[in-house]
Amino acid sequence: MKIWFTLMTLILLGCSSTDKQDRSRSLSESINLEVKEVKLDNGMVALIVPNHKLPIFSLYLFYKVGGKNEVSGITGASHFLEHMMFKGAKRFGKNTIDFIIEGSGGSTNAYTTNDQTVYYENLPSSQLPIMLEIEADRMENLLLDKDDFNKERQVVLEERKMRYENSPRGQIYLELMKNLYEGTPYGRSVIGDIPDLKSVSRDQIQAYFKRFYAPNNVALVLAGDVDPKEAEKMIKERFGKIPSSPSVEEAHNSLKDEAFVPRLKDSKVVKRKGESPSPMFMLAYPSYKAGHVKGYPVDILSSIIGSGRSASLISDYILIDKPVATRMYAANQSLEKSGFFFIGGDLVKGIDVDTFRKDLIGKLKGYCETEITQRSLEKVKNNYLVDLYAGLDTNAGLARFLGERQLLFGDWRFYKQELSMYEDVTVDQVKQACHEIFSQKSVFVSVWNKHK
Amino acid sequence: MKKITASLLILLSATSFAKTSFLDSVERMKWGDLEVVWVEDDKFPKFTASVYYENGGISDQIPGATQATLDQLTSGTKKQNQKEIAEFFDFYGANIRNSVTHEYSVLSVQGLVKDIEPVVGKVCELLNDAQYPANELSSYISRAKSNLNNLVTSHAALSDRVFRQMTLKETPFSKPVEGTLESLEKLSPALLKERLKELNKTKKVLYLAGPSGVKDIKDILKSKCNWSNEIRLKPVELNKPSNESAIYLVPVPGANQAQIRIGRYMTSNELQGKYDKFEFLANFMGGGFTSKLVQELRVKRGLTYSAGAYVSAQRDYARAGIMTFSKNETAAETVALIRAIFQDVSNPSKITEQEFKHQQGHLVGGYAFGFEETSSFLGRIMLYDHQNRKLSELEAFPEKISRMTAAELSQANLEAFSWDRLTIVVVGDKSLEKGLSRIRPVKILDYRKFL
Repeated sequence: MKIWFTLMTLILLGCSSTDKQDRSRSLSESINLEVKEVKLDNGMVALIVPNHKLPIFSLYLFYKVGGKNEVSGITGASHFLEHMMFKGAKRFGKNTIDFIIEGSGGSTNAYTTNDQTVYYENLPSSQLPIMLEIEADRMENLLLDKDDFNKERQVVLEERKMRYENSPRGQIYLELMKNLYEGTPYGRSVIGDIPDLKSVSRDQIQAYFKRFYAPNNVALVLAGDVDPKEAEKMIKERFGKIPSSPSVEEAHNSLKDEAFVPRLKDSKVVKRKGESPSPMFMLAYPSYKAGHVKGYPVDILSSIIGSGRSASLISDYILIDKPVATRMYAANQSLEKSGFFFIGGDLVKGIDVDTFRKDLIGKLKGYCETEITQRSLEKVKNNYLVDLYAGLDTNAGLARFLGERQLLFGDWRFYKQELSMYEDVTVDQVKQACHEIFSQKSVFVSVWNKHK
Repeated sequence: MKKITASLLILLSATSFAKTSFLDSVERMKWGDLEVVWVEDDKFPKFTASVYYENGGISDQIPGATQATLDQLTSGTKKQNQKEIAEFFDFYGANIRNSVTHEYSVLSVQGLVKDIEPVVGKVCELLNDAQYPANELSSYISRAKSNLNNLVTSHAALSDRVFRQMTLKETPFSKPVEGTLESLEKLSPALLKERLKELNKTKKVLYLAGPSGVKDIKDILKSKCNWSNEIRLKPVELNKPSNESAIYLVPVPGANQAQIRIGRYMTSNELQGKYDKFEFLANFMGGGFTSKLVQELRVKRGLTYSAGAYVSAQRDYARAGIMTFSKNETAAETVALIRAIFQDVSNPSKITEQEFKHQQGHLVGGYAFGFEETSSFLGRIMLYDHQNRKLSELEAFPEKISRMTAAELSQANLEAFSWDRLTIVVVGDKSLEKGLSRIRPVKILDYRKFL
């Protein structure tokens, strides 16, 4: 099925950002993306966005598999597979994929989250045919060579040390997810537990791969100097013959949203000993899953209190005569099945972490009445517009933008609804969200060399 | 004027990149005494305005002064306090940033074109009237010191800092532009105001990106910024670094990995006419998954997660370096292997045609990506200007790389990574000393002396 949408145009606004009526138009009307959507018989969805500015393209494959799909014993399987996907397939054998991509001037990488694993390439446009062949080959015929498998196990363990064991922020994040999502799949670490990484077998990874790496579990996004008709033909030729996974839908259906909701009976305070001479922390509250209508006011709340130099947390803890922190930030993290609102930061040496925690939690509740104003709301919406432009500045940014929405919401067009929802958020809604979020139980994690 | 960056989101017939020079999107102008470089980009209604100052950290009597002068530019004027200034920029979604190197400094502001007049007008106001209130400066110093003290938890960042100071010791570039625990204490409002005056009188160039509407700021700059170009920074001449005979081990608590840095500084004479060759060398050694180091260290042996190489040049000097890490047990093996790789690459007969052609393809094929983001293109023009290089060199880059030979690569490697001149810094556990001492005598350094 092919769906053509109206020509993507930019509406350049000449309005003043202080004019509420004009400003409110700017988000939802600022972009209209022209996307060619292709659906294959095996369930695969491909999105194609032509851009002929330069002879290059970005290709993104969003697989709907991540930490949430793992079980005890194979934690880290999605991320391990991410590494193995570069090790070769039947046609493009051992250690050839990187060479083909980089040898033609391209670059490639991948990332794994709780909900998805994403592979991407940026290449000269002449390389589209072979790149699609590579992606199809490794989706259908991944090698999982035994020697490579064991060697890569060591690389993953080193990566784990670098990102989590040796990083205070990494330690905090793992501890936060473990405590906030205790007993739910989001409580497990995406990179995997060390015993699992050391013991997971090739057969276990192979079975995991067979289930989740299939055309009916992926969204392909192609942005750049491509002919949409040609690209569609190539995609159908290369991916159309790959069978869908018969069990992937069942695997997704078995994961009910309720099983991912944090179940905090009491607030938790977790202290980990680390090497940091001053405390680093994160404080989290349960929030909403991606796309939930109540999540948008929470997004705006996080920006009001944590984004920019004039944000409440920056004004109250950093830009003061005797700073309490050197870094503070806030965000509303929307996952596929659940979400959490968090605040993090690095405190100045000598600040007592317990005193700070109590002060912060008290202040947050106060913010609901003092910080959320019409002006602060407008400020956030102005910043969203700037961020939106920045995010769509490259082929890769555009592909990410579309792919994330296609995978999370099953429809890339959902961005229009999102922008409208942001536009429609009112001061009262943000205030209400603020009270709701901060009246819940929380998890506070800190790392410090003074902790026992 | 042709626009390579025009109309991203509107369907156009394909324009051959080869036929359309990217230089066509660059316009050079003179607004009075001010040199202006504009890269047209009407993809979105946003702008970037970057002021290049031919003056950087090397002029600091107290290390960190230039950095603090620009960092604290928004800390208060006679009319507005820090909070009001922050509120102003945040409201417009405008970002004000800076970058200070030893040789030059850059103040950048980005925002929506419709807001360019108030935003740039405010920047001019700050440049004329920043007061650096004592309480805000004290707060800044306190935060900066805290960040430096916390470097002990970020072994990679600590390694970079120690490595920089050790490779550049005995040169004017050794002191960190962001300052030290000791130097930060010496900063004062008077000092920063004086430094700002100097910057306002320093030779500067304005780099602009955005639709044609960005040129409307000409009158604002003329009426509000009061800039002049009296101060010019004299080039610094360096001698080649002397030989190194030790490995510097920096013990840190709780390290289960060793951060490894190997390299040296290079003089401007060594660089002249060879920028492209050294860029190829850095790419060959550590530019991507298929580079020599990643293949040898990670793919073949599983010794590390990542490895990189660079030859990073300013005008008067460059730094050539290798950066990687490994677990404690294999740190010495990794350093020894890097030495063996240097030896191999120094011999053209040990560079296979396949790997050489592969890296040529990587650099030449990837050339167009350097122009996808206008802000990075703008940064590249700025660097070329600073180095007194012609932009036509950038245009000729693919052809030059295509003509390179394996012998030239080996020669570049010999020049940049001559083992006896290389400084080796390892940040990690004290127990690494034994293994490393088999390669070179080990000198223990206290990380606190580098903060």
